[in-house]
Amino acid sequence: MAVRLLQPVLIGAVALGFPLVVTGGYHLHLAIMALIFTVLVAGLNLLVGYMGLLSLGHAAFFGIGAYVSGLFYKKLGLSFWVGFPAAGVVAALAALVLGYIVLRVRGHRFVIISIAFQEIVRMVDSNWVELTNGYMGIAGIAAPRLLLGPLDIDFFPKRHFYYLALAVAALTVFVCQQLADSHIGRALIGIRESEALAGTVGISPFRYSMIAFTVGAFFGGLAGSLYAHFIGFISPDLFHFSVMIEMLVMLIMGGKGTTWGPVLGAIIFTMLPEYLRVAKDFRMIIFGGILVGAILYMPQGIIMPIARVAERLPRLWRPAERPA
Amino acid sequence: MLELTLQHILNGLVVGSAYALIAIGLTMIFGLMDIANFAHGEFYMLGGFFAYYAVSFLGLSFFVTIPLAIVVTMAVGALLDRGVFRRLRGTPLMSSVLATIGLSIFFQHVALLVWGPQPNEIPTPFPPASIHLGPLFITPFRLFIAGVTLLLILAAHGVLQYTRVGKATRAVFQNRESAALVGIDIDRIYLLSFTFGSGLAAAAGVLLGPIFLVYPTMGGMATLKAFIVVIVGGMGNFLGAIVSGLLLGVAESLGAGFVSTAYKDAVGFVIVIIVLMLMPQGLFGSKA
Repeated sequence: MAVRLLQPVLIGAVALGFPLVVTGGYHLHLAIMALIFTVLVAGLNLLVGYMGLLSLGHAAFFGIGAYVSGLFYKKLGLSFWVGFPAAGVVAALAALVLGYIVLRVRGHRFVIISIAFQEIVRMVDSNWVELTNGYMGIAGIAAPRLLLGPLDIDFFPKRHFYYLALAVAALTVFVCQQLADSHIGRALIGIRESEALAGTVGISPFRYSMIAFTVGAFFGGLAGSLYAHFIGFISPDLFHFSVMIEMLVMLIMGGKGTTWGPVLGAIIFTMLPEYLRVAKDFRMIIFGGILVGAILYMPQGIIMPIARVAERLPRLWRPAERPA
Repeated sequence: MLELTLQHILNGLVVGSAYALIAIGLTMIFGLMDIANFAHGEFYMLGGFFAYYAVSFLGLSFFVTIPLAIVVTMAVGALLDRGVFRRLRGTPLMSSVLATIGLSIFFQHVALLVWGPQPNEIPTPFPPASIHLGPLFITPFRLFIAGVTLLLILAAHGVLQYTRVGKATRAVFQNRESAALVGIDIDRIYLLSFTFGSGLAAAAGVLLGPIFLVYPTMGGMATLKAFIVVIVGGMGNFLGAIVSGLLLGVAESLGAGFVSTAYKDAVGFVIVIIVLMLMPQGLFGSKA
């Protein structure tokens, strides 16, 4: 029991204590980006990881969320606390409509449709200059500020924003984990393992894929809103294919279809490209090479080897209950 | 109005024939190996860059450059097949998509490092003045593109249809196990068709380079358009790829001419969504 509690307490302590130990702005910035990506990737994990349906259009929901929140603030003067839920809801609605049309196809066909959707949204965003300011983007989106009676918290300092992002990320991971453990998660895994078989026991692949797609898009929208109010500037680049690749790498390399895989992936692959900066011009060449090599030699992601080590860890501290 | 429409169609057919050239390799790789190759557009990019360097720095004639760029790109393709794609066969869709995206990032940034980010124009010996075809105009170079692509497509068709290797390829396509049983070397067929497909994409890069310019990220959009063509034409369908390549070129040209040039690239994406909704097997049926 004590050992079982050790893990969450340890993770919680590290997460909560991080800004107290690391005070450098650069590292806090990276940590916040990793948390935002955690929200994004954990949502994507429902569809890609648990249901096994590869989507390359998730960046669209990230961008939609960022623009909803940013435009609410700039055009309507509404604060983050309105824009943030609205970003999630609008992204989820977009997914609901799109999913209803396209979630009948599978495999490579779905891959291409999802890219097509993302590209169309990107082009509309780039060309609808009156609303979105086109390629110039929208600047000056302020950090959230919480005014609740005597409470007045400005989230502009990075250390404050860190805890906001951490709260959202923790909630996202918790909700996704609860979903995965529920009958919905079991149905999704059933569909992943055999769609035909799942159908014969009364699981509707269409219905459950709609749930995974919409909930994932909801979190994508939330992540977009966080991003918009953290960076303060949004542009059509948010819809770019490279954003999609980034989150997919985090998911697959972290470990898809697991609770902590997206978290691990988001942390490692926010840090890795930054640390590869010492390699200067060779940075992305090395990154591409690592990606190909990792897929060929570590298709399960990083979490599996780590989980295996973690399983053995308690045995180092206490005698094995049974002889191995 | 009618003349303008015909003019757009003519322009579209020329660009569309190059789309078809890129898509043929992609659809063959998909049909044979079941791999969605997101790095396929990089062969188009490599073809364009090899040609640009051969013409601008080595001073070779444009006509010598075309086969040269194709052969060099084919060598790269053969190496990739041995080094990467051989290991990807039989892996899940997700692995092959990510690994080929990794390859695409790799090649784009190698190109960026070696050749720089600026767009380059491949110089050609063709005069820029248009030729009149009745009420329509076409530049000699575009006529040349259409001619060369037609030749290449016919050659590809001939090889597949009438040669021993072509017949073996079709056999592997229809049933891998049975083909292996009658003594066809599957790995060799994979190598040959992969190399062949990369060569066709390189040819498209050389031919479109003088019009659309050559730059490191040009392969990304080429990959997506080739996928649109392949899906609309039916995955693994050779003839479908040619017809829908031409269709995409024409649709884009009409869309740019009559709707908006800003949304030119969106035309294909809208088409692919509609086609997949109404006819999931593509317009001409597919292997899967």
